[in-house]
Amino acid sequence: MLGGITLHAQGTSKLISGSVQDEKGTPLQGASISVKNMRNATVTADVNGNFAIKVPVSQNTIQVTYIGMKPVDVSVEGKTNVSVILKGADSRLGEVVVVGYGTRRRAEVTSSISSISEKDIKNLPVAGVDQAIQGKVAGVTITNNTGQPGGGVSVRVRGITSATGNNEPLYVIDGVPMGGTKSSPNQNFLGGGNGQTVQSVMATLNPSDIASIDILKDASAQAIYGSQGANGVVLITTKKGKNGEGKISYDTYYGFQMIPKKLKVMNLQQFAKYQNSLLADINGVTGGRQDTIGEFRNPDLLGHGTDWQDEIYQTGQIQSHQLSFSGGQGKTTYYFSGGYFDQQGTLIETKFRRYTLRMNVDHQVKSWFKAGISGNLSRSDQKIGLSDGFDAVTSTILYNSPAAPVRNVYGEYIGTTVVGGTQFGNISNPVALAKFRDVRAVSTKVFGALYGEIDIIKGLTFRNQLNYDFNLGSNKAFQPEVKNGDITQNNIINIAQLREERSNSIYYGLQSYLNYSKSWGKHAVYATAGHEVQYSSYDYINASRVGQQLNLPSLATGIGGNNSGETIGAGQGEWSMESYFSRLNYTYNNRYSISGSIRRDGSSTFGPEKRWGSFPAVSASWTVTNEPFAEGLKNLSYLKLRLGAGAVGNQETGGNNQYKSNIAAPITGPLGPGSLPYNVANAKFSWESIKTYNAGIDATVLNKRVEISIDVYKKVTTNMLLPVQLPAFSGLGTSYNDIRTPIANGGQMTNKGIDIAITTYNVQNKNLNWKTSIVFSHYKNKLDFLNSPDAALAGDFDEYGDKPLVTLSQQGLPLGSFYGFVTDGLFRDMKDLNNGIDWGLPVQADKQWLGDVRFKDLNGDGKIDSKDVTVIGNPNPTFTYGMTNTFSFKGLDLSVFVYGSYGAQIFNYARRQTEGLRNQFNNQLETVLDRYTATNPNGSLPRYNQWHNNNFRISDRFIESGSFLRIQNISLGYNLPKKMIAKAKMANFKIYASAQNLYTFTKYSGYDPELGAYNSRVTLMNIDNGHYPNPRSFTFGANIEF
Amino acid sequence: MKIKNIIVAGTLILTGLSCKKSFLEHTSTSNATLDVYYVNAEQVNGATGLLYNAVWGDWFDKAFSSVGDVLGGTVTGAAGNDQYNSFYNFNIQSTDGLINLTWNACYKAAGQSSVLIKSFEDKKASASNPAYLTLGIAEARFIRGFAYFYIGRTFGDAPIVSDPVALTEPGAYLVPRYLQKDVLRFAIEDLKFAEENLPSVAYQPGRVTKYAAKGMMAKIYLYLKDYDNAKLKAKEVIDYANGSGVIGLYDDYTKMFTSSSANNNKESLFSLQWLTSLGWNGGNRFQLYVGPQPLLAPAPTSGAGYSALVPSIDMLNPATGYAINDKRHGWSVMEQGFHKAEWVNASFPNGFRYDTTGNNTDNFHIRTGTRSSILKYVVGPNRANEPVNTSSHSQIGTYILRYADVLLIHAEAILGGTGSTSNAEAVAAFNAVHTRAGLDPVSVFSKDDLLHERKVEFAFEGDYWFDIQRQGFTKAKQMIEAQERGTYDFNKQLTSFKATLSSESQLYLPIPLSETVKDPLLLQPAIPYY
Repeated sequence: MLGGITLHAQGTSKLISGSVQDEKGTPLQGASISVKNMRNATVTADVNGNFAIKVPVSQNTIQVTYIGMKPVDVSVEGKTNVSVILKGADSRLGEVVVVGYGTRRRAEVTSSISSISEKDIKNLPVAGVDQAIQGKVAGVTITNNTGQPGGGVSVRVRGITSATGNNEPLYVIDGVPMGGTKSSPNQNFLGGGNGQTVQSVMATLNPSDIASIDILKDASAQAIYGSQGANGVVLITTKKGKNGEGKISYDTYYGFQMIPKKLKVMNLQQFAKYQNSLLADINGVTGGRQDTIGEFRNPDLLGHGTDWQDEIYQTGQIQSHQLSFSGGQGKTTYYFSGGYFDQQGTLIETKFRRYTLRMNVDHQVKSWFKAGISGNLSRSDQKIGLSDGFDAVTSTILYNSPAAPVRNVYGEYIGTTVVGGTQFGNISNPVALAKFRDVRAVSTKVFGALYGEIDIIKGLTFRNQLNYDFNLGSNKAFQPEVKNGDITQNNIINIAQLREERSNSIYYGLQSYLNYSKSWGKHAVYATAGHEVQYSSYDYINASRVGQQLNLPSLATGIGGNNSGETIGAGQGEWSMESYFSRLNYTYNNRYSISGSIRRDGSSTFGPEKRWGSFPAVSASWTVTNEPFAEGLKNLSYLKLRLGAGAVGNQETGGNNQYKSNIAAPITGPLGPGSLPYNVANAKFSWESIKTYNAGIDATVLNKRVEISIDVYKKVTTNMLLPVQLPAFSGLGTSYNDIRTPIANGGQMTNKGIDIAITTYNVQNKNLNWKTSIVFSHYKNKLDFLNSPDAALAGDFDEYGDKPLVTLSQQGLPLGSFYGFVTDGLFRDMKDLNNGIDWGLPVQADKQWLGDVRFKDLNGDGKIDSKDVTVIGNPNPTFTYGMTNTFSFKGLDLSVFVYGSYGAQIFNYARRQTEGLRNQFNNQLETVLDRYTATNPNGSLPRYNQWHNNNFRISDRFIESGSFLRIQNISLGYNLPKKMIAKAKMANFKIYASAQNLYTFTKYSGYDPELGAYNSRVTLMNIDNGHYPNPRSFTFGANIEF
Repeated sequence: MKIKNIIVAGTLILTGLSCKKSFLEHTSTSNATLDVYYVNAEQVNGATGLLYNAVWGDWFDKAFSSVGDVLGGTVTGAAGNDQYNSFYNFNIQSTDGLINLTWNACYKAAGQSSVLIKSFEDKKASASNPAYLTLGIAEARFIRGFAYFYIGRTFGDAPIVSDPVALTEPGAYLVPRYLQKDVLRFAIEDLKFAEENLPSVAYQPGRVTKYAAKGMMAKIYLYLKDYDNAKLKAKEVIDYANGSGVIGLYDDYTKMFTSSSANNNKESLFSLQWLTSLGWNGGNRFQLYVGPQPLLAPAPTSGAGYSALVPSIDMLNPATGYAINDKRHGWSVMEQGFHKAEWVNASFPNGFRYDTTGNNTDNFHIRTGTRSSILKYVVGPNRANEPVNTSSHSQIGTYILRYADVLLIHAEAILGGTGSTSNAEAVAAFNAVHTRAGLDPVSVFSKDDLLHERKVEFAFEGDYWFDIQRQGFTKAKQMIEAQERGTYDFNKQLTSFKATLSSESQLYLPIPLSETVKDPLLLQPAIPYY
């Protein structure tokens, strides 16, 4: 095409061709090239940064400009070809940002998008990329829900969007959306609590295959994903080959993991003293004559007994290996990789193992046609420990008596032990339970895409992409029968049981879209328009049997037939969506940009009349420093202002066909098979809407040493899709055996916040570089109202059907607010007890008495009752922050990353047991030695009380500050000198050592102030009920490149 | 170039035409929908059949005993089971778990009944012969009636919800508490419908009948001290029993309470139905909680027996509990020397023996705080004719209303407010129950005699507390404070414990805190419903 121009140009002018690149060598598409002083003769660089311009013979200088870059004048005297390198006014401007169905340069972005590069997440000893970006992105709050390898992670992009549904963002990996959740079997199939079952979806993707991550934070960026973008969109770009000689890379690390701290529960000596003193307490109330246990009379003669924490926690190991080949020649680029990751948890028997294979191949088939394929195969095998429940092993170890041994003299497990006629210990030996229960989630996943892209005319491309995602889930929960090794033959684990679950899911999507870009004069336009269909279906079966012969872990060895406990379950479902989307960007004179997008989605989630929703967005930016008047601003190299607004939707209802009245699967009841209604229908519910307003600035100041991005936002969720919240007396509910309340649109929730990211280049010279990156995220969540102004969302823990209310989310309060009584010290004086207030119980030794907790009469009616409850804490942090300092000195590099969270509160539910002082024979924290007794009237804890439950009812007694500052990662690396490694034909050889979760500054008394949400439920955040603590890791690794 | 354009144009046209409208329509293949269901007797009866089972699970789990027997003083607990603590001590607060379970389960049973009632009524319009729907409505209304009777007795003033779906409208769930008498009247209205529309003889064993409804109404009337109506309804049942022989006292009390083969016998007017294969969600858990470990832990059951509730010393003392010659003592309680030949397990190949001589409880010995265990509803190890699953759940039905109850209601209704009676009909009804236990007939009985008779007849059946409660605060206080609720220590020395009642509000459970925070109207004084 250039040929034509050349012919015309001969004579009066000469033709200059060339290319424009940034400092990193990335072509600058859309750069303006003009002849100096002849503004009307402007051309723009094409997609490869190439241009050709007619220059009058009389002229010898061309000017090259690009949005956000320093303009340059280039002399063309005596040249026909020039290569121009533009330097950014800000190091970020050249970055390619993935925006959904296309890419932009950072300089052209008008909305709020944060980017992370490969090196920010490299070499971190974590299973998933979700964990790796913690503290690295302003506006994204990440908490590990558990220390379980491969366990769940709460990722919140700008606060909480949905009150009852999923709040995890949409992950899009090279254009393939990956939503949903990953669950392991409930442990309650085997008896007891069910524990954490929500696991990390992202743990199935090898983080080492990731090249970059872009997070769409505001609706003006998300709206192109319409109804799937409500919780934010995380766009992941995987590694691709580059033209040039092939590269072989091997990345590996190996390390150790341990729990960062142990809780101080009593040892046997302390426990014996405590037992002796309790008898005085009890006899003092009952007038009884319980006598001291003989063996405990002289505690000093006793040993330390069983340290259950030592028995259950171990030093785990972690290792990762990844081998990749990449490169490209001529028309083809390729990337292949294989990875292996193996993590043994700090809780015995917990582990996560993953095998991954990945390929990316792109080929220029014709001059006008490019095609490519990507595939990701992964298999992960996760063994899950029972945590987060009062009977979980992580809880039991804290109250199981140190008098009970783990094993008898023959090395066999035993449950209880008798000391002086009294039984001590938990029948289910927690070590045996952890050892023998095998609860696993094995997942095999294949996903990727096939695409073809046609250049129709210059600037206009047409892309078709077929996305696919197949999953095979294979879960199991098994326990063998385990008996006491002693003569009692008591059951430690009741009976062999096995449940197997198999699930299949298939997803495919077809995207077809046109991308158009054109620049003329001072104008530049980008447009995108397309269509997408998505379909998924799933099915599952499960079966369980008990009484496995010889404890063989197979369904075939279990007992079948009537009354044998044999069960079979199954189900299937389908979901589909059709969408149209378009986006238009226009930039004038490299200064003013405006962008608008709209997406129209139809989803099978909704009834025929409410199926379609539209999600528009607009945003604009002004690059102030490209104005002529900004030339003189010495310390301001770059300044861009951004404004945006948009709407996205949410269609999460927790099931298909919710708009109809369904009949539950038949149950074979005692009077024969029958079915109750499953739900109450509401044909009218429709899209939940989330509107975001965003204002931001990007600035580079102080001679390019400081880069700042600040965004403030307001995000309003309306017409929330909620199961109608009703009190239990309605008879309807949301539990497994309830007739479910209808889904309805209602309520409103607001998140307001500010995201700040600052990067400073403190020292930059030949040998030493020091860079500091700081991110700061603050959000304030407020539930404006639910489906009706008075409605409230209860957060309760199910303990064998007893559901103590721990949180209450109601109008005007943050979601998940702790709710309960307010304490006012202890009763230490009879005058306090007899001051005329009705404490709810009479003043009497076995009722309300000295040493009991005093609650505040909040409504001042002279009576402590159900009216005296209020909000007692907020689990949402005021802000979270992260600071990374990286130093490089010659071949050495050091990075120090600290991460913190401030202002969140924790409900330390476990202390209701460990400081409960309610059961004579359970072990407790050492703190109970300083409880109130007749002889220790100034004790800090309440008295021992087996007569009523008030002292441990839900109150601010168990609220603690969850603020912490953690040295999250220190990593020291050394790049071997090139000369040395060249002999071994290596291009790079880096060795490093790193420490993760090195130390936490916190006042929190539990294991770990980073708690996240119980099974991703936002109504159960920051509740510590036998948490699996996040490990401390020390790793050593190498990155080798040939 | 040309090929390229054809491809582009072709694809654009294809995507432009896009999908059929049906692409977004998926009919469920896993579930039936209401439009096509409840169209025959089988489907309707199947649904109402579920109302006898797991929906009551949370209440039956521990609340049933805690309310009826722990408060009533007929049982006491093993040390270390802190869940029951506040019930033993009459220290119940709105934050205690067991009141949640009572509340939630009773309202769930009522609510699910209401949804069925509404669905069946809607279906009537399109059914040609809707008799099966009317029967279904009557059965569901019986269940709802019983649920509200229990709610009214346990919580006193309480919300009434006739149509839960109406509550899903914004703000509509702010329901007040209604007066206890209206809650009970609501229950009676339901039972009246059941009385009119249920058959005299169950269409399937275990289903409620016209006479179950009459008996339940008699029980509510008696609770309300409406002696005339109580007498009337009880008499209708007794006359029918005498006339037809379909209903009557069962001749084997032991079998009635220790074997599922006696389920739905002629004495049972209404019982909850359980199925061991349903496990936690539908098996009878009672044996797991009260059964002794050496009976249930060894093979073949390989389950657990917690002995969490044991007969109280008050029940074992002939002065206050079972009289010396009362056979119900042996029929209801296991003590040292108890032996049952057919209860064979790995520890007891020659039949289970209740052995308290060990120092502790293990798979051979049992040592509870009163050196006894409850026998009622304990069916022993799993065996051919007695299914027990590996969690020790059994299949024996839970009697909610027995004919013996109707007889004693009749006797008490005739006694009315008077001190004692020698009325022939009353004495006959009383003696029918009294003499079955091997005791000599009486010619006159007092109110206290009658209450005592109820105590020993219905001990461990979740009912005696209401007999105390309905006497009013003064008498209830006396009855409670006279009971020995203590336990024996290691050396069989009695640690005495006597509960005290200090306020009339202790006669009712408080409404759970988790409910009052959602509906603050529940903290306001009750108002009339009718």
